Amino acid sequence: MAGSGVWAFAQPFSIQVIGLHALTGFIFIAVIGLHVANNFVPLKKYLKNRMVWLVSAITIALGALFYFQPSPIKAVLGLSGNLGPALDRFEMTDDGMKYDYAPSPSYKLSLDIRTGSTYSLENPPRLAVWLENQSFYHIKTLYSSETTDAKEMLPYWAFKVKGWEQAKAEAEKKGVDLNETVDAVSGATRNGSFDPADYILPGETNSSMPYRVMIEINQTDDSSKKLKDQPSLVYQVEVDNFDPLAFQLLELVGYPVKEMTEENEEEWAIYYVDERFGSAMSLINSALLTIDRSP
Amino acid sequence: MGQTSFGVFLTCKENLFFNHATLMADKKRAIADRRNFLQSSVLGAAGVGLAVSSSSSVAVAETNEGTNKPVVANEVDVLVVGGGTAGTIAAIQAGRAGARTLLVERNFQLGGATTTGGVAFPGLFDAWGEQVIAGIGWELVKESVELDGGRFPNFAKVPRSHWMNQVHVNQFVYALLAEEKCREADVEIAYYEFPEAVVKTDAGWQVDCIGFGTRRRVKCKQIIDCTGGAEVVGMLGFERLREKERQPGSYLYQLGSSHNPASKQLHRLYVHGADSTNSRTATLANLTGRKSILAKVRKDKKRLMHLQPETGFRESYRIKGETLITVQDYTTGKLFDDAVSNAFYPVDLHTKTGVRPKPLKRGIVPSIPLRALIPKGSRNLIVAGRCVSSDRLANSGLRVQASCMGMGQAAAVAATLAVQGNTTPLEVPLAEVHALLKKHGAIIPVKA
Repeated sequence: MAGSGVWAFAQPFSIQVIGLHALTGFIFIAVIGLHVANNFVPLKKYLKNRMVWLVSAITIALGALFYFQPSPIKAVLGLSGNLGPALDRFEMTDDGMKYDYAPSPSYKLSLDIRTGSTYSLENPPRLAVWLENQSFYHIKTLYSSETTDAKEMLPYWAFKVKGWEQAKAEAEKKGVDLNETVDAVSGATRNGSFDPADYILPGETNSSMPYRVMIEINQTDDSSKKLKDQPSLVYQVEVDNFDPLAFQLLELVGYPVKEMTEENEEEWAIYYVDERFGSAMSLINSALLTIDRSP
Repeated sequence: MGQTSFGVFLTCKENLFFNHATLMADKKRAIADRRNFLQSSVLGAAGVGLAVSSSSSVAVAETNEGTNKPVVANEVDVLVVGGGTAGTIAAIQAGRAGARTLLVERNFQLGGATTTGGVAFPGLFDAWGEQVIAGIGWELVKESVELDGGRFPNFAKVPRSHWMNQVHVNQFVYALLAEEKCREADVEIAYYEFPEAVVKTDAGWQVDCIGFGTRRRVKCKQIIDCTGGAEVVGMLGFERLREKERQPGSYLYQLGSSHNPASKQLHRLYVHGADSTNSRTATLANLTGRKSILAKVRKDKKRLMHLQPETGFRESYRIKGETLITVQDYTTGKLFDDAVSNAFYPVDLHTKTGVRPKPLKRGIVPSIPLRALIPKGSRNLIVAGRCVSSDRLANSGLRVQASCMGMGQAAAVAATLAVQGNTTPLEVPLAEVHALLKKHGAIIPVKA
């Protein structure tokens, strides 16, 4: 079991290794059961030993740490070649940030964000990277700043996450299959699946459903000549899941503005950037999406 | 007025109408027929000496004793054939610019795809946060929305999808306003008529139109062909382009719930093979569409609340112009040196399996050159609308209403200036075209 565990840690996700590791886990549990059954009386005496309780407490504490994964633990786990079926890794580089997402060895997505001239390393801007489906639903956040003001500073991303969670909860409550819901206006656009893996797992190569990679970035207290504090900016690129391009640059879409719908509900829309914007436009030099899909 | 001569003329003409109608399928014979017609027409016109008002295009109607059918004659500066999306705008523009204008429309109202076809959500007038098509088309759309208490899309807002910036108009209000604007511009409207024969004259053209109970002879200096399929261009024998298979048409209807024509899209039924080339193919498309809708009513057991009068056609003939807009020109936003109007829409080719619009790249705004509106080698003839000289993919984006409205206005300006300068649209100085377009509120393409 130790061997299969180290193997699973070291190499990229492999369902064969995980299966082997699971098998050794079940065998280990069975052996423990047999061991306890055969040695019940002597083992009972161990419970009087304080060391046993100490070891148990340490084990539970470590278990909790590795389950909730605070930053130091995450750093250790980040050394692994395997972060599960949706391998994702975010790292800072000399030029900016790099995000890798590899749902399987045959499908690798990499987002290389080069910082621009106004990007401050001392006070870095808030940033979120997420995927949206064809119906503009948030389906997976790939990265978001871990600051307490992230949702406030990145309102469009927060709105999308909230909308997704609400829609998901309502659908589960009503037992509605959103895949069957038809967009009322376009009359042809089906909502996408809730499962991001449906879009990006290579098993879905016969699906032409596109998805979008989105970035929202916002620098705190960045005034321009005409704006006291420039709003966040949103970048996007659409990926054809059927035949994705190897390289695509994300393009600036605009800035989010809160509006009220006819039903008096809060909504965030994107507006075209105008001449009032200044330094915010240079937070990102460029963002390159690379998709490596093997046959 | 020489009644006898007039009678002779009518006899010749009627024979010709009969001959022409029966010989349409045979091109060679049709050409010969046109030659005969030219001879007959010249004789007839000379003998008749039709009274035409010197100050307007108003014709004198006569009654032939033998057939008891009315005959109408017009002498105008500009004849606009087709009162659809482009033609309506072209006629209003020509009238406003001072040209004596006649608008001939085969149907019963103006607006074409927007009204009769029910595609009451014209677009796209904006691109990348700015309005790129305005002028008379926008004026008509804007007033339709305002009169109906409708709403405009916010062009400063990034649309989630291109269709979100289409402007929903009340198709009935739009048709009424189009007629009002034609009246105000002194444009004479002739419904239920279509050209039957066109011949070149020293002064321009002689066009014979036929409608039920009406035969009309029009003498004009310029023709603006806004028939969608460049039918006049075809009659004159200029080269046209056509695909083996056409994009499906759409028959619009509404089942089950009341129709709000100002804010709600109708249900859409694809009519595959829909072809507006002639009355037979158009009839077939309508019969096919309506039969399918009736079957759907029976199957769904829902009430039919709304049905448009005819199929909306996407594709038929395109002209081979003095230049041709390729999809490369379109998707790269090439600014032609004689650009007269903008266009904006994804490449949008409908097929049997549906459509997957290919949006234009950020910042791209295609332009329409004047030369793409002029059939190659022609004089005193210009087109506007979906028959613009373009390859198929470019045309799939160019064919939409706002772009066609822009073309209609530009074509009318070029034709009117050609009348005033006693020349042909291609030879009108571009600066004059731009100046007059600007004067009438149009947006001239500029480098991004």
